[in-house]
Amino acid sequence: MNSTNTGATEPADVDLNRVWIGVAAQVWHRQPGRLERTAARLLRSPGLARALLTTPSLLLGWVIASAVVLAAGAVATVGTGTPYVALFAPAVAAAGIAYAYGPGIDPAWELSQSMAVSDRMVLLVRALAVFALNALLGLAASAASGAAAAVTFGWLVPMTAVCAFALAAATLARSANVGVAAGLAGWAITVLGTRVAGGSLTAAVASASLVLPYLLAAVVCSSIAWYATRIPRGMP
Amino acid sequence: MNVEISDLTRRFGRTQAVDGVSLETGAGVFGLLGPNGAGKTSLLRMMATVLPPTSGKLRLLGRDPGHYAPRREIRRRLGYLPQNLGYYPGFTVTDFVEYFALLKEMPPRQVPRAVAAAVEQVGLGDKAKARLRTLSGGMLRRVGIAQAIVNGPELLLLDEPTAGLDPEQRMAFRALLRDLGQRATVLVSTHLVEDVGAACGEVALMDAGRIVFHGTPDELTARGEGTGAAGDAPLERGYSAVLASARSETAARA
Amino acid sequence: MDDTDLIAAMAAGDDAALRELFSRHAPWLAARLRSVLAAADVEDVLQETFLAAWRGAGGYRPVGPVGGWLWGIARRQAALFLRRRGPAALILPAVVPADGRHASDPAEAALSRAAIAEAVAALGPEGSPEREAWRLVYVEDRPVAEVAELMGVPVGTVKSRAHRARRLLRAALRSSEPAPGSSELLPRSGKPAEGGT
Repeated sequence: MNSTNTGATEPADVDLNRVWIGVAAQVWHRQPGRLERTAARLLRSPGLARALLTTPSLLLGWVIASAVVLAAGAVATVGTGTPYVALFAPAVAAAGIAYAYGPGIDPAWELSQSMAVSDRMVLLVRALAVFALNALLGLAASAASGAAAAVTFGWLVPMTAVCAFALAAATLARSANVGVAAGLAGWAITVLGTRVAGGSLTAAVASASLVLPYLLAAVVCSSIAWYATRIPRGMP
Repeated sequence: MNVEISDLTRRFGRTQAVDGVSLETGAGVFGLLGPNGAGKTSLLRMMATVLPPTSGKLRLLGRDPGHYAPRREIRRRLGYLPQNLGYYPGFTVTDFVEYFALLKEMPPRQVPRAVAAAVEQVGLGDKAKARLRTLSGGMLRRVGIAQAIVNGPELLLLDEPTAGLDPEQRMAFRALLRDLGQRATVLVSTHLVEDVGAACGEVALMDAGRIVFHGTPDELTARGEGTGAAGDAPLERGYSAVLASARSETAARA
Repeated sequence: MDDTDLIAAMAAGDDAALRELFSRHAPWLAARLRSVLAAADVEDVLQETFLAAWRGAGGYRPVGPVGGWLWGIARRQAALFLRRRGPAALILPAVVPADGRHASDPAEAALSRAAIAEAVAALGPEGSPEREAWRLVYVEDRPVAEVAELMGVPVGTVKSRAHRARRLLRAALRSSEPAPGSSELLPRSGKPAEGGT
């Protein structure tokens, strides 16, 4: 460091640079909040906790937007009787999950792949957190709208499938936007398709016969996502 | 030996990006020169454990990066600056460096001091709390260098580190390289010949996926003497001479 | 920016101002601390000094030069440091000026008051015999007979309590007092001796 002091010279055996680093270390450092500290303890990794809390779709703005969409669904449900929450929730969650992921939304994507905390772990933790949060929001909205219990919980299974589908698309195409588009499109097609087949708009979430296919789809898509996130084949 | 590479190849579809590269290096600054498309970035990516080789032997810091546990250990002791590093615009300089320090699994107690030291070492001490979106290209490059050195890596891989830096900053950077090279293996991939001459003890020149020269900067300079090769400086002439001769050999064989 | 502006900026959270303040003042502070502390200890004390300056920038009042304020902080940090490590850490023990010197530096006066307050606490809790005796006899300057009546004890008891109080105070102050014949850290005036603002 340059000293602008014209008079005194520091003693030769005192390392002022070292002193400054010690001062700067404390002045510049931001103590992690309680949420991050708790996450670090639970995940046993401060790096993973930090990555989780910087998930784009867990940031306050996104969470509020999701909550608003679901609240609108709840209001619409109360008004019309159609369980819109059940129909919206999977879509909202799928978008959130796709936006938890790498290239396209993570500018430092290549660097992240060289980290000791593997990007696959980061993705897993983020996806689970986004899913859990959206499930909670959805359940709250569902309960508030007074929908029947079967429908209130019924959409959790399709939501899992749609999220896995969005994630598989995002990891295969290496693009969060592709993941969102695929998730939304896939869900829209499912809803309309089951309506055409069964007659009701809520067949997609209420039909017991679809549970197994949904779960199967979830497993297959998750495997695809897992495979797609192994060390990449290459970015020429 | 921190880096042991033997007959390493990497193919993308029908393109052979890296075609049988062998090299070994210990502590010191190692320059990787070559034109665009020579395979330098692919080679560096393999050493950064983000790209698996198609074939050949690769050992980093005495470990095999093909398996999870050794790869994780390598990554803790690795510093990598990719050619295109994006930034999180809302992060501050210290946020960014700290984020990657944590992802490299540095012990949290050591992180604040390490971050401060890295930020000061790249000359961004007065911008420590500035948001990345307010910084110039050269400053962002220095932020990238800071995250690469924050964990005191034993293996430091820098891909075009001086892009966007002005001459004064380049000089400071070369001094930093020499300092780092005393304790670690520093690999600098660049197409700027003068960066290599000033800071590197060893140089390799790559062309079309192969190493066509491996020696000291002085030896490279010597290759250019009396050949009339293009270049304003002796090292540049050596570079041109070696490239020209390698290409004519390839053409003759074809 | 002059030093006072720097401190105002620091109070507003500007760490670049702290950096500038450090580059201006750390060298002479280090030199002065070095005359009484080992090099490694100087580094520790200096680090704590500037951290304390950073945290206390909001409470800074422009009374006297900034150098004096910083020096006051440095002395307090040095005193704290020595108290933790023991007087063996001193090369030349001198943190509180010898008796009889006038404290013209407000930071110095504050430190002396603080030292005295601490020593008084060594007499015991409020209302204890020695502390009461000290307060009535020395602070309020009452005649011994009057104190005896107020405390409801014989004159001789008052005298012995006052004597004990003096002994305790002297011992407490001596733990941070200079050894005879040593130099002291504080200059005559509030300004730093070389190169200050």
